[in-house]
Amino acid sequence: MPEPPRMEFSLSVSAEVANLAVIRRFVEEIATSLRADRKAIDDMLQAVEEATANIIFHGYHGQPGNIEIEMGQEQGALVVRLRDQALPFDPTRVPPPDLTSPLETRRFGGLGVHLIRQFTDQMTYRVMPEGGNELTLRKNAKWTSQEDK
Amino acid sequence: MKLSVNSAQGRVPVAVVGVQGDLDATSYQELIAKAQELYRAGTRHILLDLSQTTFVSSSGLVALHSIALLLKGDQPPSPEDGWAAIHSVGRGLGAGPQPHVKLLNPQPKVDRVLEKAGLKEFFEIHTDRASAINSF
Repeated sequence: MPEPPRMEFSLSVSAEVANLAVIRRFVEEIATSLRADRKAIDDMLQAVEEATANIIFHGYHGQPGNIEIEMGQEQGALVVRLRDQALPFDPTRVPPPDLTSPLETRRFGGLGVHLIRQFTDQMTYRVMPEGGNELTLRKNAKWTSQEDK
Repeated sequence: MKLSVNSAQGRVPVAVVGVQGDLDATSYQELIAKAQELYRAGTRHILLDLSQTTFVSSSGLVALHSIALLLKGDQPPSPEDGWAAIHSVGRGLGAGPQPHVKLLNPQPKVDRVLEKAGLKEFFEIHTDRASAINSF
């Protein structure tokens, strides 16, 4: 897979639960400044929260590490790219939960990935050439131009 | 996240727990702990007021599930056991809406999360506080 072009906005934070809100604020501020529509922003915030929580709790297992967040607009979509150096984990291979089953047989593992799928239009994963995980989330958005203000 | 608790009397005593702010991985244990505290003090019916809940992640959904288990008389997973234990919850609530925990006025984006997680069928959702309290 070719190296994706670097996007304009980026943030690097330590993989700590306290930084989940920092990441959400960053994504919201950039998406708002790019003038994406509110629903697209809310959906992306939900997906990013689930993806970054998975990196912190399942990827790094509470051990020290970093998460790099890069975001921008690509071909009409709001795009967020998450990179980490945790153990390789491909969330696109997580099977969907059976939401028709009663709760007594339902497990909550995989719920976060299910929500990522539900709230984005595309989720792609690759192992980076130098090692580490890269997850790209895309959400189709409506964009308000400066002239519309 | 800020929590508030108000006692109300319908056909049975009801604790109305207001959840203000984000219910996420940083705060969901606090909500479970509050429900445990209320349960130990004798509360058996909780109305979760989500009208000022601005965000709910999958961790927040785990909190709702844990509170429903608690009020059903089951031991919810211990937050001290960590994320993996909580996410491996497999014990159930049975079919249909839970009789002991109900939801009040979730904002549309929170309502969408409940729907997309397939949890709306397990929680009665009310839009009127008085009728919600009297529904227990």
